[in-house]
Amino acid sequence: MDSAIAQKTWELENNILTVETPDPSSDSIFYYDEAAQAKFQQEKPWANDPHYFKRVKISALALLKMVVHARSGGTIEVMGLMQGKTDGDAIIVMDAFALPVEGTETRVNAQADAYEYMVDYSQTNKQAGRLENVVGWYHSHPGYGCWLSGIDVSTQMLNQQFQEPFLAVVIDPTRTVSAGKVEIGAFRTYPEGYKPPDDPISEYQTIPLNKIEDFGVHCKQYYALDITYFKSSLDCHLLDLLWNKYWVNTLSSSPLLGNGDYVAGQISDLAEKLEQAENQLAHSRIGPLGPPRKKLQEESQLAKITRDSAKITVEQVHGLMSQVTLLFQIFRT
Amino acid sequence: MASSSSSGLTFKLHPLVIVNISDHYTRVKSQLSLPPSLTSTSSAATSNNNNNNSNGGENNQNPPPRVYGCVIGVQRGRTVEIFNSFELIYDPSTRSLDRSFLEKKQELYKKVFPHFYVLGWYSTGSDAQESDMHFHKALMDINESPLYVLLNPAINPAQKDLPVTIYESELHVIDGVPQLIFVRSSYTIETVEAERISVDHVAHLKPSGGSAATQLAAQLTGIHSAIKMLNSRIRVLHQYLVGMQKGICPFLVIVVQIKFSWNYVNI
Repeated sequence: MDSAIAQKTWELENNILTVETPDPSSDSIFYYDEAAQAKFQQEKPWANDPHYFKRVKISALALLKMVVHARSGGTIEVMGLMQGKTDGDAIIVMDAFALPVEGTETRVNAQADAYEYMVDYSQTNKQAGRLENVVGWYHSHPGYGCWLSGIDVSTQMLNQQFQEPFLAVVIDPTRTVSAGKVEIGAFRTYPEGYKPPDDPISEYQTIPLNKIEDFGVHCKQYYALDITYFKSSLDCHLLDLLWNKYWVNTLSSSPLLGNGDYVAGQISDLAEKLEQAENQLAHSRIGPLGPPRKKLQEESQLAKITRDSAKITVEQVHGLMSQVTLLFQIFRT
Repeated sequence: MASSSSSGLTFKLHPLVIVNISDHYTRVKSQLSLPPSLTSTSSAATSNNNNNNSNGGENNQNPPPRVYGCVIGVQRGRTVEIFNSFELIYDPSTRSLDRSFLEKKQELYKKVFPHFYVLGWYSTGSDAQESDMHFHKALMDINESPLYVLLNPAINPAQKDLPVTIYESELHVIDGVPQLIFVRSSYTIETVEAERISVDHVAHLKPSGGSAATQLAAQLTGIHSAIKMLNSRIRVLHQYLVGMQKGICPFLVIVVQIKFSWNYVNI
């Protein structure tokens, strides 16, 4: 039966994850080996291979800080820096901190202000016992997905020339709340003029119409890295105990209400895309011999629109199901 | 020593603070212990080392280090909400707090979070000690009645409750001498939606990508666990009430506080 198969798949995935549950000996990831890091910095194995770094490990603390900061910005983009180290072909992010700049400023201005803050903060951190260096930057795209815009790509290319190893992370706090799972992406750009050997298959995500051009022009200039998370044994223990007090919040959360504006935006964007698809269809009919290629393109655009609308519906159904249906069932006498 | 507080303030603690303190402690502890080497025998020795530390210290290992830091947040009327925290430099042997560091850090955090201000301090350990009062008094010039958040880092698998206590200071007259002592306060865990999702994500290490099916399964699992908890709590209450009816258990006024957002659900 379907449900049995679904459960087995879920258990299988779960089992794979529980093997990675940390035990006290794996807290060694928290140890900062200065000599080894300095040596790695000298060797620069990434200089020859643009695809050198393949994985990212983010600590529980860094993730929490980044998501909370991104959400606190509301609809304004926020940015910050990440501290950590490298480990073979993986970049490890141990901590993150926010920078006092807003997305409305141009990037050039932001960097000057941010550097002063960064130097001060790094100094105080080293004094307080956080020895890692800055290893990347993160910023938020509230509501329009995890990808690098044109400005982001040029910033990251600059970073990768002078501040290696460096990583770019994008978080979408609005989609995180509406989908109920963390929307995050980690990217590194290819150097100028480099052609990637094969086309990596990336997960489809819906992009609003006003950003889709920016996305399309630059999407071949960078690649995404795999993200895994880790936590210390004490974190594990505390989070388990936290659940004893937390379950109330899970039941009383209301994703539908919190994200009303975002959902309205999504639906209007979908309407625009439908209109555009309709216009394209009308144009292809006007042409005398409508080449078959255009029709294929048409299909894929309609297919995208169906996928987008399906996603919106799924999220709404989730919200309704969890809040209205289940709670009604429980609390009706 | 720890009688319950009478100040009437309600405390709300965000999970970020707990993860912050835990990370600070793990970091300091791992820098102090032996560096992990590549051979498996010495990594086994390291794990023994860590295990011994978490058991409360053998004589030949270092006792678990204490870390100190500041908690920041907002106070609105009678509600105190603790949002974030950062580390501080304190030398327990000389009892000196690095003032310039504290001020520097405060300035930096003010730039990014202009609404937060210093609410108190935190430390790790199993119980509040006399020497902690010294640190507490040092912070009194920044905040007249600071809070003391204590986290117990010992990992005890039999433990059911969160090992975090919040203390306030009160002036009590003991043997005719007015003294400041720590009194325990109760607190609740408060969160914003995004925080809850990321804590959930890390706590259960759910798969992040995936089709709608896994997403649905993940969300339903979360709700299922929450409902299971509700069910078990209600069972306990029910058993107690039955016992009261039979005369086995003493009569108690049970206050049931159902904290759901009822205004969102129109029944």
